[in-house]
Order: sequence, then C-alpha cells, then structure tokens
Amino acid sequence: MKSKKYSEVLLNQFKKKGFKAKNFDNIIESKIIIERSGELFKKSLLSFEDDDGKNFSLRPDLTISACLHYLKNIKRGEYKYTYFDQAYRRTFGKESLVRNQLGCEIIGSSSKLADKEIINLIDSSLSKLIKNKTVIKINDLKLFNSLVDSLKLPLRWKLRLKRHFWRPEYFKALLSRLETGSDLKKNIFELDKKAYLKMKKFNKNQKIAGRKITEILKRFQKKISEPRSNIDGKKISKIVKEYLKIDCKLKDAQQTLRNFEDKHNLNLKLGKFNLFKLDIKNKDVTFSTNTGRSVEYYTGLVFEIYKKSKNTNLASGGRYDNLMEILGAKRKIPAIGGAINYDNLLKI
Amino acid sequence: MKIQVLKIGIPSKGRLKDKSLSLFKKNKINIKSIKRSYISEIKNFKKNEVVFSHAREIIERLSDGLIDIGISGFDLLNESLPGIKKNIKIYKHLNFGFSELVVAIPKDWIDVQTIADLEEISFNFKNKNSGKLRIATKYPNLTNDFLTSKGVTQYKIVNSLGATEIYPFTNQSEIITDITSTGSTLKANKLRILKDGLILKSSACILLSKKSLRDKNKKLLLFKFLKKIK
Repeated sequence: MKSKKYSEVLLNQFKKKGFKAKNFDNIIESKIIIERSGELFKKSLLSFEDDDGKNFSLRPDLTISACLHYLKNIKRGEYKYTYFDQAYRRTFGKESLVRNQLGCEIIGSSSKLADKEIINLIDSSLSKLIKNKTVIKINDLKLFNSLVDSLKLPLRWKLRLKRHFWRPEYFKALLSRLETGSDLKKNIFELDKKAYLKMKKFNKNQKIAGRKITEILKRFQKKISEPRSNIDGKKISKIVKEYLKIDCKLKDAQQTLRNFEDKHNLNLKLGKFNLFKLDIKNKDVTFSTNTGRSVEYYTGLVFEIYKKSKNTNLASGGRYDNLMEILGAKRKIPAIGGAINYDNLLKI
Repeated sequence: MKIQVLKIGIPSKGRLKDKSLSLFKKNKINIKSIKRSYISEIKNFKKNEVVFSHAREIIERLSDGLIDIGISGFDLLNESLPGIKKNIKIYKHLNFGFSELVVAIPKDWIDVQTIADLEEISFNFKNKNSGKLRIATKYPNLTNDFLTSKGVTQYKIVNSLGATEIYPFTNQSEIITDITSTGSTLKANKLRILKDGLILKSSACILLSKKSLRDKNKKLLLFKFLKKIK
C-alpha cells in the first residue's frame, strides 16, 4: 500500500510539471546496449535469442528505455518523461532480478534550467513524502576533465584517467600505476625496433587483424617519443587524490576550487561552469568531487539526494549528453534525468 | 537400504583421458577394458560406474550430482557459471594437464605490449570503426572477468568452438584468448601473448560433487575411493 501511495504521489508531482508518463518496450535488442557498454554490462542482461539468432534482453534500465522511446517516437525538441515500472538485471544471487524504477527525464535540452528543474522537482517531491529534511550532493564531471587537461601528463594518460573516472576501484589501481611509473618502460620498445624497421617497408595500407600498418607504426612512434621520464607520477596522483577529497558547501565551491588551483598552479577554467550559479531551492547543497562516479553514461552535472538525519540515499541522477548518439541518434541530443531510490524510500 | 553406486567421470578423449587412466593404473585402480563404449567400471572397487564424458560435461554433471567424483580442468571449472561452480569442491590439483589461458594478439601489432595498450586501442576501434574490438574465445566468462578487472570494457566476445588461433586472420575477430601449454601453436599462427596477458594457470583436478558429499553413505564411499589415489 505504502509503495502504491508513494509512487502515485511522485508520479502526480512529475505529471503536474508537464512530464508525460509512458510505457516502454519490455524487450530491447541486446546489441544496442552492448554498443554502449561493451561486454561489461552484457553480463547483467537477461537475454535470449529469437529464431533468427538475434539476441534480445529484458530492459535493464528505464533511462535507456526512455531514450529509445524518444528516438522512435519523438525525434526532435524537448520532451519530458516520467515512469514507474520494472527493470530487469541478473544479480548473481545478490538482489532481486526485478527492480522498481521511478524517475523522470528531460530529453532534448541542454539548458541549465532543465538541470535546475530536475533537481528541484525530485527534491521537492521527496519532501512531500518524508518528514525529514533532505541534503543534496552535487558535482560536475567535466570539472574532473578540466583538472586532467591542466595536468602535465601525456595524452594517453589523460584519456585513461577520464575514461575510467566512473569506475572508482579501477581508477585507484590506475593512480597506483601512475605513482610507481610501472606503465611504460623504454627497453620494452627497443625489442620491437627491429620489427618496426621491417614493417616500415610494408604496404602501408595493408591491414593486420583490422588495423592498418600506418596506424600501428604511428602509435608505436608516438609511444616511444612521449616524454615518459618527465612525468612526476607521484605528484600528479597526489593532486588527483586531493581533488577527489573536496567536499564543501556549494556556495563555497568556487572559492575552494580557486584555492586548489592556486596551490597547484592549475587552470580549471571555472568560468565555464554553471554549477556554481545553479538556483537550487533546498539550501543544504554540498559540492563533492567524488559524487556521481558509478554510472558510465553521465557526462556533466550529477546529483545525489540524501535523507539528512540518516544519510540514506533517496535519489540520484545527472546529465547524459552523449547517450542518445550512442543509442543511434544521428545528432547530439542532450538530456538529463534522475531516479528515485525506491527501495530506500519505502524503508523510511 | 539403497545400494550406493559411486559414479566416476573421466574425460573421454585426448591427453586428459590418457593421463587420468594412467593415474588410475598407477594407483592399481583397474578399469575394465571398454573399446568404443563410454561406460565402464572399476573391477577392484565396490559398486561403481565409470562414465567417459567431455571435460566440460563432467563439471555440469558434478554440479547436478549425477556424477560423484570426476577429473576435469581447473580452467573449465572456473569458466562455469557461479551457480554451477558453487556445487563443486576441488579435492586435489593433479600433476598433469598443465596449461595457461592467455590473451594473444597478432605478433605484428608491435605497439601493443600490455593490457593497458589493449585498453587504449579498443577505444580506437570504437571511435573509428563504430564497432568493437572482437575477441574470439572458448572462455567468455574468464575473459570478461579478467579484462574488465584490467579496465578493458570496449570489446565484443566472439564465441569460438575450435581453431581459435585463426580467427584474427580470417576476419572473425581481432584478438583471441586461448589455452596454451608451450605457446608454439600461437607462435605458428603469428600470434603473441601480451606481457601481462596471463588470465589463469590451470591443471587437471579431482573434483567432488557437493551434493554427493551431503549424502553420508555416499561420502563414506567417496573417501574410501579417494584413499586409493596417492
């Protein structure tokens, strides 16, 4: 009963603000998801093959379902979705295969008004259900990219750190590698120089297992010419770790980051970020650089809402400006969304 | 009382079969000569049945308790799904069937030496060809666990049933993971193992069904038999 009441209250709140409740397809073609996440996510899919050998999966996530619905039916302009439905994932015995997902998405808008709307709407709707106050944690993942861009690192390392920011455990291992300098040793390449000189005489357009000779030679040259010995891995790792500990009130965030910039002689290009001017109704907002690192497709603003007294996560979300293209859009379609942590909400 | 029959699984072909039979012979466990049949029995032990099966099948039958004890590869046990693996106990690692599951790439990819390189070029595949780096393997689960733990996520598994080494040169995949004991087959097929590309070291193992171990009488019979194997 509680579940029904809560979902009705939340959906009504979202609908009042112009969000449309839609039913999404239960089954989606697996390759759409594999194109996005590779084999990593495939493990969690509940999949089956049809008579033609095509692989399908039960929908694993309703944000993806909303995006696919937009691509098929809406195609252009801003569209606001809300939903309360089931998503299905293999959990290897840890949790239920079926997850209730309640959320809202604004697809087709890059405006900071949309950012503000999603955060304020979810937060105020939750406030109608729980007596306790909520606290919001906020971050912009592009700030991390800006930090990495201003570090003295070879491009390959910059890309690596950005690519794996959303996987905290592996990211930690990457930083250790950076500290110990165990990544690239020049003598490794000496061994292949002979092969390199031989390959230079090959037909450059010839392909070896999908890669052109020119591509292989170019990357080899780039690797041996990069100034590896000039990397102060320990120093850089220390800066990154210090950055990831920044946790302050949103109103103090810009100054805190400026101090951080000055201390390490960096340029984070803070003027580019709207985050500091975001008009959030709830004044209990924390800026935390470590927030929003669990979902691969987030690209910018991310947020998490907690019940203040017990620090229970009630909702989370963020901007995913590249997902629509990965799912098949021919042009960039920015989007932002958020989901209620329904199980936690029911426990309160 | 129900008569207990000990069911023993032995690989049905190849070196694993030969070495398993040698192990039994060495321990004076005499299996009736079978010629073409896949079922036999041990002459000098209580009621029993010897089943010759594919090494992968032995793992599955141990899991569902249709076989009480079997010999199979550590690699195959680890490749099986968690729900199967949890029903099997490793009794002993044997001194044969040694092999390594490795990541192998075309030897002429001279710019790729480590998994970190592989991770980097896998993104190039994504960006350039709007596709994925394809990895042929008979071991998709072990390959997935290994690569994702090393940060490689942008790839697609191509399931292989055999002759995996030729996949990169017949446009069926770009790289492979495969079992090797000396590395000579990989080398002969112009492939090279990545410097940090060892996924798993394997050997043959004596495996027990946990379902059989839960049956008191079966357990007694099982350990009586195991005493014979030194």
